[in-house]
Amino acid sequence: MNMKLETIETDVLVIGAGPAGSTAAKHAAMGGAEVLLVDKKSEIGTPKRCAEGVSKNGLEKLGIKPSHRWIAAEMDRVRLVSPSGIDVWLNQENVHLPETGYNLERKVFDKHMAMDAARAGSQIMVKTLAKELTLKDDYVLVKAESMGNHIEIKSKIVIGADGPESRVGRWAGLKSTSKPKNMESGVQFEMVGVELEDTRAVEFYFGSVAPGGYAWIFPKGDDIANVGLGIINSMTSKNAYHHLLDFVRECKATQKAVSVEFNVGGIPVGGPLNEFVTDNVMLVGDAAGQVNPLTGGGIISGMQAGLIAGEVAANAINEGNCSLENLKEYETRWVEENSLSFQKYLKAKEYLLSLSNEELDSIARAFQGSDFERIGPMELLGKLVKVSPKAMVKLGKIF
Amino acid sequence: MIISEFCMYCGECAGVCPRNLIEVGENTLKFGQKPCKNCQICIQVCPVSALEVEG
Repeated sequence: MNMKLETIETDVLVIGAGPAGSTAAKHAAMGGAEVLLVDKKSEIGTPKRCAEGVSKNGLEKLGIKPSHRWIAAEMDRVRLVSPSGIDVWLNQENVHLPETGYNLERKVFDKHMAMDAARAGSQIMVKTLAKELTLKDDYVLVKAESMGNHIEIKSKIVIGADGPESRVGRWAGLKSTSKPKNMESGVQFEMVGVELEDTRAVEFYFGSVAPGGYAWIFPKGDDIANVGLGIINSMTSKNAYHHLLDFVRECKATQKAVSVEFNVGGIPVGGPLNEFVTDNVMLVGDAAGQVNPLTGGGIISGMQAGLIAGEVAANAINEGNCSLENLKEYETRWVEENSLSFQKYLKAKEYLLSLSNEELDSIARAFQGSDFERIGPMELLGKLVKVSPKAMVKLGKIF
Repeated sequence: MIISEFCMYCGECAGVCPRNLIEVGENTLKFGQKPCKNCQICIQVCPVSALEVEG
């Protein structure tokens, strides 16, 4: 029996084949690096941990051509629902809406993003779980279990795209542990028989229905939709699953709906880590906290990170210098592109979470039937402050 | 830690574990060798209440 441990050597190892990891692998390979992408699951993209919404221009900026294979439905409206059921409608043309445009079939999308990485030259190993990571002088040693065998991977750079678990960052000495108050618990049913007001509208429900977060309905064509919610556990005595059962029981749209899938996942909503790069290691996506703190959406921002991290990794390999100094460019570029909007979203979220059911209702009443096309941002704020004076202090700066 | 059948292996517990002790596989959840300080944050955040202290 051969007991010798198999050792694989590569330039760039990407751990986790979600959209952020696959995008990193693709762009590192396109830059000429030797790339290995590993995922612990036997099927990339399954199970999903996500409501599946992305913005159209987000994908466009990443250079990804929309495909009918992974787009479940197109969205152009948003319906915001207050605790007593007063709704406010927003149209995509009038208001820039994050995470609105396409609702994906993530299981197919993720696999296709991994395929793009492979076509660019990356190797992929599925059913491969990273178990340990050690920083050496000029490489990283990762111990993993692959298809039941123990293996070692020596890589000059490791890109951690390992999701909200984010073990890679902590193994490398980065402070990537989420505080419980910054980790939303997300639960979701994919349902059929959902009776939607508009099959092209994403719906958000606010208030005590989901303490610390909100409930959502993301339509996926016909009578199919992802129905879910996110909560902060310290703000409620019930777990997320029980909040979801209550929501589905009460919500008008789901009275006759039947679930065909149950999804669960942590959503890091505290904003990006202060540092997500160190010598030989970079983090991307949920692992780096690159999630919109207001919406909990992270597909596009994670993929943007993957693109930059992949390019920077390839350059570092070409230059033969994978130190923090040389990889830092990734962090700088991502922060430049995102930090301002993330700070605004964080402020908006703090304000939203401070509102009681009654306050939410009176705001919804004030804006019900509003023509947002004709309202400028200052007028909008003025109208909001009339019904909710604290909006001035909490939101004044971001307008 | 007792892990119930309801565990979905979502990894939220692993993300908040201050000692990085929890390994989330495709269909496994393992608590590591380093001593657990019994802070129970993992139990609090679980979306489906699948974790329980032993004894």
